[in-house]
Amino acid sequence: MSVDLAGALLTAAIAGLFAGAPLAVVRRSAGYATTLVASLLLLVVAADALRVGSVTGVAWTGPLGDPESLSLDGLSAFFALAASVVWAGTSAYSLAYDTRSSPLLPICYAVTLGAIALLVAATNWFLFLVGWETMTLASYGMILQARGRPGRVFSASFVFLAFGEASTLFVIVAVAGLRVGTGSFVQLPYLATGAVATLVFVAALIGFGLKMGVAPFHMSEWLPIAHSSAPSNASAVLSATLTLAGAYGLFRVLSLLAAPPLWWGALVLGIGAVSVLLGALFAAVSEHTKGLPAYSTIENNGLILVALGSALLAQAEGLTALYAFALFAAFYQAIAHAVAKTALFLSAGYVEHSTGTFDLGAIEGGFKRTDGAAYAGSVAATLSLAAAPPLAGFVSEWMILEALFQSYRFRPEWVQFVGLLAGAAVALAAGLILVAMTKYLGFSLLWSPASRGPQGRSALLGGVLGALGAVILGLGVAAPWVLEMLAPTVSAFARAPIAVPVGQLLSVPNGWSILSGAPFGILSPPVVPIALSIGAAVGAGYWLLGRAGRRRVPVWMAGSAPARTDETYTSFGFSSGIRIMMRSVLQTREVRASTPSGTTAEFAGAVPYSVDLEVLDVFKVFYDGLVSGGARFSTALKTAIMPGRPGRYLAYILIVTLVVVIYTAAVG
Amino acid sequence: MTRAPWTLVEADRFDAGRADRALAYWSPDGRFALYNDYRTGQSFLVSDPGPIPDQGPPSWWARGAGPARPFSLADPAPVEGYGVFTFPYGPVSLGVAESGRFDLRTYGERILAVTPIGGFKSRRLRAGLAGLSLADAGLRIERTVGNFAAAHVAAFLAAAESAVGAEVPLEELWVRAFAQELQRIYNHLHVIARIAEAANQNVGSAQAHALAEEMVRFQGRVFGHRWLFGALLPGGPARRLGSEDRRAIPGFLTGHEQAFDRLWSLFLESRTFIDRIQATAPVPRDRAVRLGGVGPTLRASGVAWDDRLRVPHAPYTDLFLTLPQESAGDALARVLVRVQEIRASFSLLEQLLERWPSNGAVGTPDPPIAPGRGLARVEAPSGDLVYDVTVRAGRVDQVGVRTASQANFPLLAEGLRDQVFTDFHFAYESFGLVFAETDG
Amino acid sequence: MSTWLEASVRRGILTTRYPASAATADEVPATGRGPRARPGASGGAALADACPVGAIGPETLDQGRCIRCARCLPRGFDFSGPVEASTTDRAALLEPRAAPPLRTADSEAPLRPFSRSLHVFLVDVGSCNACNLEVLALANPYYDSQRLGIFFTNSPRHADVLLVVGVPTPEMAEPLRRAFEALPGPKAVVAVGACPISGGVFRGNPDLTPSLADLVPVDVFVPGCPPTPLGVLDGILRAAGRARREAVP
Repeated sequence: MSVDLAGALLTAAIAGLFAGAPLAVVRRSAGYATTLVASLLLLVVAADALRVGSVTGVAWTGPLGDPESLSLDGLSAFFALAASVVWAGTSAYSLAYDTRSSPLLPICYAVTLGAIALLVAATNWFLFLVGWETMTLASYGMILQARGRPGRVFSASFVFLAFGEASTLFVIVAVAGLRVGTGSFVQLPYLATGAVATLVFVAALIGFGLKMGVAPFHMSEWLPIAHSSAPSNASAVLSATLTLAGAYGLFRVLSLLAAPPLWWGALVLGIGAVSVLLGALFAAVSEHTKGLPAYSTIENNGLILVALGSALLAQAEGLTALYAFALFAAFYQAIAHAVAKTALFLSAGYVEHSTGTFDLGAIEGGFKRTDGAAYAGSVAATLSLAAAPPLAGFVSEWMILEALFQSYRFRPEWVQFVGLLAGAAVALAAGLILVAMTKYLGFSLLWSPASRGPQGRSALLGGVLGALGAVILGLGVAAPWVLEMLAPTVSAFARAPIAVPVGQLLSVPNGWSILSGAPFGILSPPVVPIALSIGAAVGAGYWLLGRAGRRRVPVWMAGSAPARTDETYTSFGFSSGIRIMMRSVLQTREVRASTPSGTTAEFAGAVPYSVDLEVLDVFKVFYDGLVSGGARFSTALKTAIMPGRPGRYLAYILIVTLVVVIYTAAVG
Repeated sequence: MTRAPWTLVEADRFDAGRADRALAYWSPDGRFALYNDYRTGQSFLVSDPGPIPDQGPPSWWARGAGPARPFSLADPAPVEGYGVFTFPYGPVSLGVAESGRFDLRTYGERILAVTPIGGFKSRRLRAGLAGLSLADAGLRIERTVGNFAAAHVAAFLAAAESAVGAEVPLEELWVRAFAQELQRIYNHLHVIARIAEAANQNVGSAQAHALAEEMVRFQGRVFGHRWLFGALLPGGPARRLGSEDRRAIPGFLTGHEQAFDRLWSLFLESRTFIDRIQATAPVPRDRAVRLGGVGPTLRASGVAWDDRLRVPHAPYTDLFLTLPQESAGDALARVLVRVQEIRASFSLLEQLLERWPSNGAVGTPDPPIAPGRGLARVEAPSGDLVYDVTVRAGRVDQVGVRTASQANFPLLAEGLRDQVFTDFHFAYESFGLVFAETDG
Repeated sequence: MSTWLEASVRRGILTTRYPASAATADEVPATGRGPRARPGASGGAALADACPVGAIGPETLDQGRCIRCARCLPRGFDFSGPVEASTTDRAALLEPRAAPPLRTADSEAPLRPFSRSLHVFLVDVGSCNACNLEVLALANPYYDSQRLGIFFTNSPRHADVLLVVGVPTPEMAEPLRRAFEALPGPKAVVAVGACPISGGVFRGNPDLTPSLADLVPVDVFVPGCPPTPLGVLDGILRAAGRARREAVP
């Protein structure tokens, strides 16, 4: 594609995303169809940008005199590509299923998409900020609720907005720092080291971290999704692409700064490791079909930060091979997560559609046997998030752990120690997320005879989920070639050519294996499904041959009749072991209501009593305290200054007049 | 001595609700009720107490005699909550070794409530007894629970003898007591071995099982049957303990007691063993009394009641027994009570041998509670056992029973509340319950 | 201070050598063997009242009904049957009184042998607990079934042999059937004690099924009330095709 055509298409794509909003006013499906077409267009453009290196669209001079343009270089092309895959999926899903939400939703949906595309394509920080704030406001609109839920201090959407504005605040500080440093709003490298660079880094880390939902800001991610009735397309966009926007911002800022000192990388690594562990832990004990994937997003974004932190540490230590490898790991993880999380939310939406509930405990299988493609895609997404081979999540988890294993290469011991702890946290989280995804797969996705069918066009959903599942599988199996495609991205980030860590092992053809060090570890993703297939074929052969002598019997229930539905392990019971084992972190409490004097009925009518096991996010306690403390302070201040007594107000007027008179007299 | 082991009172003069009074037996026809007073150590027999209450301890006992099977052996209050479900365990589960089911209410890991369900292995015992001779009925009675055969037969025969006013040779009563104490030692050793097995104390468990096996073999040598079947029945060719036999016995008993002492001191030093049973499945004293508990379980919760002291038959009236008692009410306390009882049984066996009665001496039966109807209580290894036998024309007419397991399953439900799954086996074994004696 | 190791060594080896050597009198008391008529025993119908479960017929003695109550001893019987009393054929338990059969290695059709280890699952369909205790005693140091490769499992899915004790009650019919179905083939069922063979002393009680063979196919019958642990062991080994063969006159 010629540069001009590509640029024009880029502009058209972004405009098309925004255009979905007015069209949605006319007719909902028109809006979604427009965003679908626009995101497919963006996909093509971004892929082309990765191939040729950059694409420039329309350019103009901004209100502050700086040149502004919409263009994609290697770094932004990657994020645009990942986002457009997500948007294509959610738009197609919305076409089929979003017929009942408020009219505000498709409008805000389109505006959010356009805003994210805008900020990714912006080459000027001012335009970036415009896109950022628009994105925040539009996504607030997507999940807007009329009033808060009973028993909560603030509504979930308000929490989202509060964190979103806090994020904007810190991003503005970072942009201001860069403006001071480089003298212009254009996204130019700032290579000086010093207080300004540190300020930019810290502000960017906090601001973009708020958006990514990493610890200690993870409440911004799980609360709005788990506690609002945000429909699935909104949840997918929030979880997959807003966080992707946050990641893009952080990567962009870091790419413009000079080689970082060690503590930057250690800080990023530490924050990432804590997020990974917290996200996985809360996912394992979550009973909400949207809350569980939301916690998984926190975990995956933590993994992105872990990879990024390793890369920064390697850069500070001058380990170029590890630096490259960790960067590839970070980007690969980003796209693997985006695709899988989208598929997961869409299937959660489908399950909610067919069963009417978000409660894992109330679902007895969400899919019918005929939903083959949809089912396969959902299973692929779940297993990818659980890092099962040969899917994309497996490769990304392997790469991140390999990067952490090489912490011994760092010279200062404290850095090695940080890497060690981070590795332990990631490994523990991998186990916990396996519990979470097994629970999700088993209790919400697995087919059972009681499943009711879909209501609506399931062929479309099957197509979407099947396609996403195929993408996940393809990303995993063809990982070495995906890394080759990511070379321009990594080079754009590092502002230097970077060698792709792909090589050869024994008789496996060259370019089929990923090398994690020089030398260290090696993985050949295309060979994994071959090995798995051989094993599966052996198993299948054994199964086929043994069919004659096989008998079917019900599950052994110690002689009792096969379990009724109220006698099987609930999803809550499945993870109660973790609730009780990790009770100090989760602050597990047993809440008893209407307890009689003893459990055994006192020979009278037995009064049922209830026992509930509850967990708590300790950070939420902190935020609740912060919020209520702030509310109390402002009320107190208001009462002190504005007591509502006219006498006091008159006194204010008198004092101010006096001061002005004296000042004027003194000056004049 | 013809002191009746209870005080007869009328229903309107008896305050059943007074603290520390517990119901011990309610006859199926509603004519008699037996109460224990734990404060004074007395037993009261109330005549014509009225119809059986449909809730509370008597109703649990009555279920075994009714037609509905299976039935629950305890009624914990229903529990609800998010994610709470019922986990059925049984009836075929090797951990419990008998057939009975437990419906556990749980949210996963923790037992919120447990409903024990019995009646799976009901052999319709009571229905098969009508019209049999005492000897034939005895064959079935001793197979109510094989390892409690001596206690069941002793109680049944004592009730039948009291019903007809038969005078029994003292030597016969001595033999019955001897047999009961031997079986008590076996059963307590078996309980300790099972708890040790559940605690993975493999060496200790094997040693305890070996001691139990030696006791069973001893019973086989002395009485001709490892479980004493046929040994105590009237008209049966039971091995009587002749003076030759009695001289050979003390050597074995002394050696066995020393081996047990050595074994128990090793158990006490095992921190892991003690930790696992300490504070497991506690039953507080007031709950134990209120729920009608009996036996070592009741004594472990701090109640000083043992039938051999409070309502003794000959020969226990002449023997010295220290009441085995603990106060903590947890599994460790129940084990400690059993250890004390083992030692007490060895002492009782020695006393029995020393005071063996001369030939020809007879004992006097307890007075009947009604013409042709006798009531007897013995302290079986699992606890207080009550037999209420009506005899007509030399044949058994009706039999009412209240066994210790019937009384103690509600204490199991109480003790297991809020325990974790892994402690289930300790708790169950520490109560020493047998499903075979919960139903008729 | 003494330790478990010291205590064990001092105790020494307690384990019997059975089936490599014959059972001793200590291991099998009198009632551990089945009844046999003594040469001078009276015959005829008068003996019908000598046995409360009707095991003694005019010409026959049903080992499968005997509950070891010893009531027939004064009438000319004694407990002198073999320790290895288990059979694969119920009819073989009905012995002619005058000439009880010799059990030799050829007298029975061999079952399909289970080589090496044997996994056993116990089901109690209505016992008095004595048979349960005798079966569980096989795990104690005196008998140690594990040295013969016999293991008790917690699930019928892992078992080769279903060991049934007790007289079948109506409530246990379904659980028994489920357990039997859950055992993967090849499998064997061993009925332990008089209760599953003939109902034992509860033969006449209402609602019970006095014969396990009416519910599931039974491969080995082990008479006794209860059979001693070595008797049970003989039954399990017979199911595995490696019972001790001893000719007893």
